[in-house]
Amino acid sequence: MTFFAPFTIPFIAGALFMFAAIFLKWLWWTVKLPKVDRRLILHNFFTRNTLVAVWEVVRESLLHIRIFRVNPLLGYMHMSLAFGWFLLIVVGWIETSVYLGWEMIPIQGHIFFKYFTQVNNIDAHSALLENLMDGLLLLVLSGVALAWFKRMASRAMGMRRATKHALYDRIALSALWFVFPARLVAESLTAAIYGGGGFLTGSLGSWLGGVVPTEMLALIYEPSWWFYSSVLGLFFVALPFSRYMHIFTEIPLIFLRRWQLRPTLERKSYDNFEVEACSRCGICIDPCQLQADLGIHDTQSVYYLRDRRYNMLSLKVANNCLMCGRCEAVCPVGINLTTLRINSRAMRRNIPHEGRYGYLTNIDRSSGVGKVGYFAGCMTSLLPAVQRSMMQIFNAVGEDVWYADKDGGVCCGRPLMLSGETDAARKMVAYNTDLFRRYEITTLVTSCPICLRSFRDNYRLDGIEVLHHSEYIERLITEGRLRVAAGAEVYSYHDPCELGRGLKIYDSPRRVIEAVGTLREAEHNRRDALCCGGSLANTVIDDGKQQRIARRMTAELEATGCDTIVTSCPLCQKSIARTATRPTLDIAEVIAQRIVS
Amino acid sequence: MAYRVVIVGGGAAGMQTALELKSRGIEPVIVERDIELGGKVRGWHKLFPTFVPASDVLFPLAQRVKAARVRCFYGQEVTDIASDGVTLRSGERIPADAVVMATGFTLFDAHRKQEYGYGLYDNVITSVDLERMMNGGGVTLADGTKPQRIAILHCVGSRDEKVGQRHCSKVCCITGVKQAIELREMFPDADIFNFYMDIRMFGPGYEELYREAQEKYNIHFVRGRISEAAETIDKRIQIKAEDTLTGRPLRMTIDMLVLLVGMSANYENEGIAQRAGLELAPNGYFKTVDNFLGAVSSNRRGIFYAGAVTGAKSLADTLAEASLTASAVDDYLKEVFNK
Repeated sequence: MTFFAPFTIPFIAGALFMFAAIFLKWLWWTVKLPKVDRRLILHNFFTRNTLVAVWEVVRESLLHIRIFRVNPLLGYMHMSLAFGWFLLIVVGWIETSVYLGWEMIPIQGHIFFKYFTQVNNIDAHSALLENLMDGLLLLVLSGVALAWFKRMASRAMGMRRATKHALYDRIALSALWFVFPARLVAESLTAAIYGGGGFLTGSLGSWLGGVVPTEMLALIYEPSWWFYSSVLGLFFVALPFSRYMHIFTEIPLIFLRRWQLRPTLERKSYDNFEVEACSRCGICIDPCQLQADLGIHDTQSVYYLRDRRYNMLSLKVANNCLMCGRCEAVCPVGINLTTLRINSRAMRRNIPHEGRYGYLTNIDRSSGVGKVGYFAGCMTSLLPAVQRSMMQIFNAVGEDVWYADKDGGVCCGRPLMLSGETDAARKMVAYNTDLFRRYEITTLVTSCPICLRSFRDNYRLDGIEVLHHSEYIERLITEGRLRVAAGAEVYSYHDPCELGRGLKIYDSPRRVIEAVGTLREAEHNRRDALCCGGSLANTVIDDGKQQRIARRMTAELEATGCDTIVTSCPLCQKSIARTATRPTLDIAEVIAQRIVS
Repeated sequence: MAYRVVIVGGGAAGMQTALELKSRGIEPVIVERDIELGGKVRGWHKLFPTFVPASDVLFPLAQRVKAARVRCFYGQEVTDIASDGVTLRSGERIPADAVVMATGFTLFDAHRKQEYGYGLYDNVITSVDLERMMNGGGVTLADGTKPQRIAILHCVGSRDEKVGQRHCSKVCCITGVKQAIELREMFPDADIFNFYMDIRMFGPGYEELYREAQEKYNIHFVRGRISEAAETIDKRIQIKAEDTLTGRPLRMTIDMLVLLVGMSANYENEGIAQRAGLELAPNGYFKTVDNFLGAVSSNRRGIFYAGAVTGAKSLADTLAEASLTASAVDDYLKEVFNK
């Protein structure tokens, strides 16, 4: 039996090139992994995590369950292409094996089986298998049709805006679109000339046999297989350099992630797996408020990752992000978009001038004595009412408190991290860690979610429990230490990005508010909450644009008909207060007003 | 029959426009939101740079308006304007041949700069509060005692992106100098400081007064904005600032902090402009056709501006502009109706 025909050369060459390129990429990325990461892989390889990863590959790389949650039609499109194609390969392999036994057949023998059955005079007409294969082809074709439809009417697929692709991706995309229609044509022509075929290729074949003259059929038969093989080959050659590399990157990424590898504030080889796992589906575009409120269309995560992958990332794109995490929350691949963006901000010289931080030695402006430490943070210092309310609460429960920065302190470091100045940030981290250790506190309360995020994510404060003031107040109320009077006031609550999506603290502030009044939820809340626009992370947009972002968010809060807007972040409070027509209070102020002594 | 012009706002700009129109044989009608005429100048003590009592300007103006029998609506708010009349909140419509917007400005709400503690700390007051104190029972601390150290902070709600106020309010610098001198006369032994970004002394006699404040009245000027204020246990105010001339951070405890609040555009401007098709400047003030020959004209024919409704202005500038507005309205009426 022969399994070679000249038309298979483009396919074979393309496939060989693709697998070689993918292998080299994987190898290079793995070799370059830092020691810590390689140790994590070895450590976690023979654990349950590996099995969990296998299951996740099935769910996410084949079935795309997370995209189904965004929009069922969009999920079906991705599933039909990925899972449908996968099944075509698997069932196709079974098909050849059924007829030819379990012997070694070259890969093109499987892929172009319909062609080689004629060449080798194999009688392969199982109605079950042929209909099954046609069914799968139809599944994939329906996905292709939806993909075309999505280009023209993305809104119907739950996306207001679809990704604008680079020329290179367009080539790969067009090749992919042609692969399955080309297969349909080639297999139908085969059926037209030689008979057979399932409900799809068979019917189309007999129809073609009726309308197209026999000489014509014979003339286009061979070229149709050439075309199918060529578009496959072209797609394979383009794949490692286009967005379709995500197919073969998401799989190792899922394993690496299950083995606890994570991106950090410094760039490292692991980032490649995250960056190239992006399929540029564009689901991240709609949630971006820079896009929705300001009409900025070049900075969303999909474009940021694309620019970073092709080494054309500008500092402006890297910096033009609120780091609100709304894109990260919906990313079906679960890429750590904010951390990646932070580490690509460190493109400038990242060595702080020593003299600039001279003030860090020998200063200590802390006061008070207690096991509970209170860190107001720079932003809270601009809202003395919040600090005062916290002191009222501490006094009401008789807590002995050590005030870390009542008379001025050192920044937690997160604003520096967000702007890529990680070395300078480390100086702040070291200073504050030392300060907390020296006063031997066991609990650290802060009223700033930005500080809280850095304490939890970037400090090593083992032995010190770090709490947001909403968590602390909730505990005081639950334990019965703080008594508050409920009233008729109606509140609406704004979830700060760093506290909500950043640290998953959604319930504590709500329980605290519900202890004193009625809470009404805004249209976007919890995981979907809008950003206030005042984020420290964006150094590109000006103040007027920040206010435009804030205005829509504030309007949603006011639309609840609340008497008072409540938030639990000093920065959010500043942003809201300047656009709101209703009083805006911090959660601590709300509680301090309602203390029953 | 005389042409009728509705003037929205009965402050200095509105009154002056009304008088000028009347003298040109046009019938002005003033619609005032408050229960009496006078606007923001009411409640002011003395005027810079000559220390003339504000009442010496306001009373004669109001007297002349009364004597001229200008029709005035009090306690009425205008919700919509057009070149042929205005609509009141009650729904009533006042037809007119032209309309003048003279609704002035809104004082910046010092609560919005919470870091200075206005409304939180007893002895943090605004420049407007200080004028009221001088008009009333006199200037004292919250406990009734005399202040020994006073700081006046410039640019509160002016030239401050963080509160969406990019513009200079023009009058605060000279007001700070004026109030410092007045405080010096009340408290000869007190330390008085002005914290400023830069001192803008553009008017006649202003620069001279600024020098006099330093040389004759021993008032200290520190270049640097105050970043934060905190209240001490004995109700004094601790301030943090940077002296940018020496490049050093500075901490100081004072008895009283006076915030020189700036001028903001009226909140209502946006809705009125949108419905009437008028253009607004980015800072929310009404936008004039140009700064030179069309400085009192709107982009809608028949609607004119007078005073601080188009941007921060001193009282002197406002009065001068109001006469110009009346002249522009007169020209318009002649052109449109007398052809």
